[in-house]
Amino acid sequence: MRLILLVMTMLCWTTAARAEPIKPAEILQAAVVNVIRPEVLRFDATSRGLSSAMKALCASPSPNGKAIADAQFGLVVAAYGQIAYLRLGPMMEDNRADRLLFWPDRRGIGLKQVQAILSNQDNSVTSLAGLRSKSVAVQGLGALDYVLSGTDADTLTRPQGEFRCAYGAAIADNIADIAGALVAGWFAPDGIADHLMMPQPTNVDYRSDTEALEALVGLVSHGLEAMRDQQLNPFLAAADAPAKPKLAPFWRSGQTMTLLSGSIMSMRQLIGESRVATAVAEKDKGLADSIDFEFRNALRALGLVTLPVEQAVADQKQAAALSYLALVTDSLHGMVGEQLSAALGLSVGFSALDGD
Amino acid sequence: MWQRRAFLKAAGAGFAASLLPRRAVALERSELVFASAVQTARGGYGAVLLGEAGELIAEIALPDRGHDITISPQAGRGVVFARQPGTFAVVFDPAGTVAPVTLTSIAGRHFFGHGLFSPDGTLLYATENDFDAAQGVVGIYDATGGYRRIGEFPTYGTGPHEMLLMPDGVTLVVANGGIETHPDFGRAELNLDSMDPSVVFIDRRDGALVGQLRLDGGLHQLSIRHMAIDAQSRVWFGCQYKGAAADAPQLVGYATQDGAIVLVDLPAETLAELRNYVGSVAASADGTTIAVSSPEGNLLVAIDAGAGRPSLTQTLRSGCGLAADGAGFVATSGLGEMIGIAGASRAPRQFDFQFDNHMLRV
Repeated sequence: MRLILLVMTMLCWTTAARAEPIKPAEILQAAVVNVIRPEVLRFDATSRGLSSAMKALCASPSPNGKAIADAQFGLVVAAYGQIAYLRLGPMMEDNRADRLLFWPDRRGIGLKQVQAILSNQDNSVTSLAGLRSKSVAVQGLGALDYVLSGTDADTLTRPQGEFRCAYGAAIADNIADIAGALVAGWFAPDGIADHLMMPQPTNVDYRSDTEALEALVGLVSHGLEAMRDQQLNPFLAAADAPAKPKLAPFWRSGQTMTLLSGSIMSMRQLIGESRVATAVAEKDKGLADSIDFEFRNALRALGLVTLPVEQAVADQKQAAALSYLALVTDSLHGMVGEQLSAALGLSVGFSALDGD
Repeated sequence: MWQRRAFLKAAGAGFAASLLPRRAVALERSELVFASAVQTARGGYGAVLLGEAGELIAEIALPDRGHDITISPQAGRGVVFARQPGTFAVVFDPAGTVAPVTLTSIAGRHFFGHGLFSPDGTLLYATENDFDAAQGVVGIYDATGGYRRIGEFPTYGTGPHEMLLMPDGVTLVVANGGIETHPDFGRAELNLDSMDPSVVFIDRRDGALVGQLRLDGGLHQLSIRHMAIDAQSRVWFGCQYKGAAADAPQLVGYATQDGAIVLVDLPAETLAELRNYVGSVAASADGTTIAVSSPEGNLLVAIDAGAGRPSLTQTLRSGCGLAADGAGFVATSGLGEMIGIAGASRAPRQFDFQFDNHMLRV
């Protein structure tokens, strides 16, 4: 009897604890402290690792050194995927978003400029300061993708790749420098993180819980939209057009799925860890599970794509998985940008934040 | 003006089909005063025609999200343009006697959401994107010949957005937002580092460039997007800033046909609340007051056009649509509210649809 009473008491207690609605401050703090800051730190750490690997490769070119740099590049792309959608605060200053990855590069501006640098052996790009003064399209991950995996990348394993390696090392330094600025921005006292976690009427950016929550939900909504429109749909086959795998980001290095997986995992984590989708009325309580279910569908589809993107779009099963991923991304965009926004009483999806 | 009664005879698919019997009464009594694109309560897209008190006269179904509307009494037609990068424009009869017709942009072009009729109603002009060349164009349509596209001329810039007709009836003024987009990549902004926004005056008779004005002082990321013309024929514009949020540049200014372009100094606290984003600009009926809105900052600002200073600031959540109303303005929101500000005596009203960014006063 005592045991039953104890169990019943515990059940009542846990039910009561669950019934306590999560507060906006808890949501925002969890988003920043448990997800955003750790991911920015991871990007910083992997970027500095890449910088060291490039320097080592340049000091003694070898297949082994190149393999290490390639592997580290993959880790940086994964970490970048996790922060690419954090398009507010420090990412939006100093052209950092474009300097990290100039994408989509519809007219191949970046490719042409990078090829010109390599062919002219323009020494001004081999220092961080020199590179920073150049076009945004030759400073970041897209340019490094070409340096490490584009035409003649194998020269990096030999002394004749000296210039190419020095340019790659400067790009890696630049990426690490930007990563450092992102860390500084997200940890600055009275900066974006504090303003998101503790919105105040006197802040220039986030003045209320509603505005901060709109920013948080908007990150995921816009991140999904950007993934769909910029990283996925452009290279998938359409009814009237074949697949164009060279429009996939990082197709040369084979890191396309690494990027997409990083973003999906991170956005899922941001919604899950912050519990923002649970801060809704009873009738919308199923939304959190629905969103997470769809995120897991996206990850499952990504798991099926094991070939490099050029081969994946030609493989029936993997191409189907990619098409399914596009559908799921679109569905998630609607769930987060419209259903969740509406359930939270936010206006993320309509006349605000649409750039018109 | 418009023959409301004729709605009762309307038979167009998707139009006036939604004219419920109880609304027929409103229709009998109402003059068409306002028009706006909306998102319906069911999540679909449409446009609404409203009477003076905000009573719903008719709904027009749209295949996707609309943006701005233009109406010409001379042509006897209105047009709802698709929001960028949409490829449709729906021509409707405000009198409801003729079914709406959907225009499709030609291959290689899409609409930017804004357009206007010539004063005699024979031509329709639309801002469009020549997306492969990343150049703006004004598409020209024959309103007397089934809205056949009969030509185009350049906007002398990238990413044109709103276009107005100057009081001379000949000169078009176009806000080139400066932002490159391509439908292959949705609404992604492809050239934020190298934007080149401008205000251009174009002779609509031959497409000749009359004048092009740019803001100097490192403001190339200040996208000029929406405009209204004041009593002195100055073209007021509102901008959206694409650089670092903390830069907080001025967002509102005016350009003149004789070559001046000026940003007015809004107080820091007002500027902060606009959040680097102006979504709509309107002039009062007498052209002495300009109103701007920021759905991001939930703020409406009325500006004394003569003094260049705010005469009123008011919050409206997700507020964006603006149109002259009485001595002031009507403002609408993405949450379905319609209010009067700055001299308009209008009782607030809540609708079950969400207003899009622009409100037209017919």
